Amino acid sequence: MKAFQANLQKLEASDTQVLGVSVDTPFSNHKFAEENSVTFPLLSDPDGKTIDDYGLLRTMNVKGKDAVTGQEVSVPIKTARRATFLIDKDGKIIEESVDREAVDPTKIVEACERRRLGK
Amino acid sequence: MKRAHSTALMLLVAAALTVPAGSGLRAQSSNNAQAQKPPEPMKLKVGDIAPDFTLLTTDGQGVKPISLHDYKGKKNVALAFYVFAFTGG
Repeated sequence: MKAFQANLQKLEASDTQVLGVSVDTPFSNHKFAEENSVTFPLLSDPDGKTIDDYGLLRTMNVKGKDAVTGQEVSVPIKTARRATFLIDKDGKIIEESVDREAVDPTKIVEACERRRLGK
Repeated sequence: MKRAHSTALMLLVAAALTVPAGSGLRAQSSNNAQAQKPPEPMKLKVGDIAPDFTLLTTDGQGVKPISLHDYKGKKNVALAFYVFAFTGG
């Protein structure tokens, strides 16, 4: 998220809109964006429908102690696999990165710049 | 009451995701059989049409929908999926 913010100027100069998607609510996204100076829109997909359409819906078992009862618990939570898609103006996927690779937006930024220079 | 309970669980999730590498929680997840599998292939490939969507965002003033088709013919879109907003990257 912050890595994309750091590259936002380059992406915008390449005629690219950055959008973030997660299962978080619009309000927790807004709080996060304010606290971390994220200026691109963070979209909320609480039921995971869009995340599933992109083949990225996962169940994460989060282990820890229940704050109320103190018992060990494992809580299944639906969330997204980390991935970035670069989509062109015709709605076609022109670049993608997934998992660890998706944390660094360099591949996406370079694809945007190549496209800009190619036109 | 249910809401208070789920808020407590969300705080636990936040705590679990921010623990440093090498802690007990990370050790548990690396022992998980799922973590041993090779990376799954992607459902959508370069050249595929990106599925359209309409999702909500807020600027603090109100909630507004944003759709992929809003940008068709106008801009490229870098669509970044996050595990949770507050995790790294």
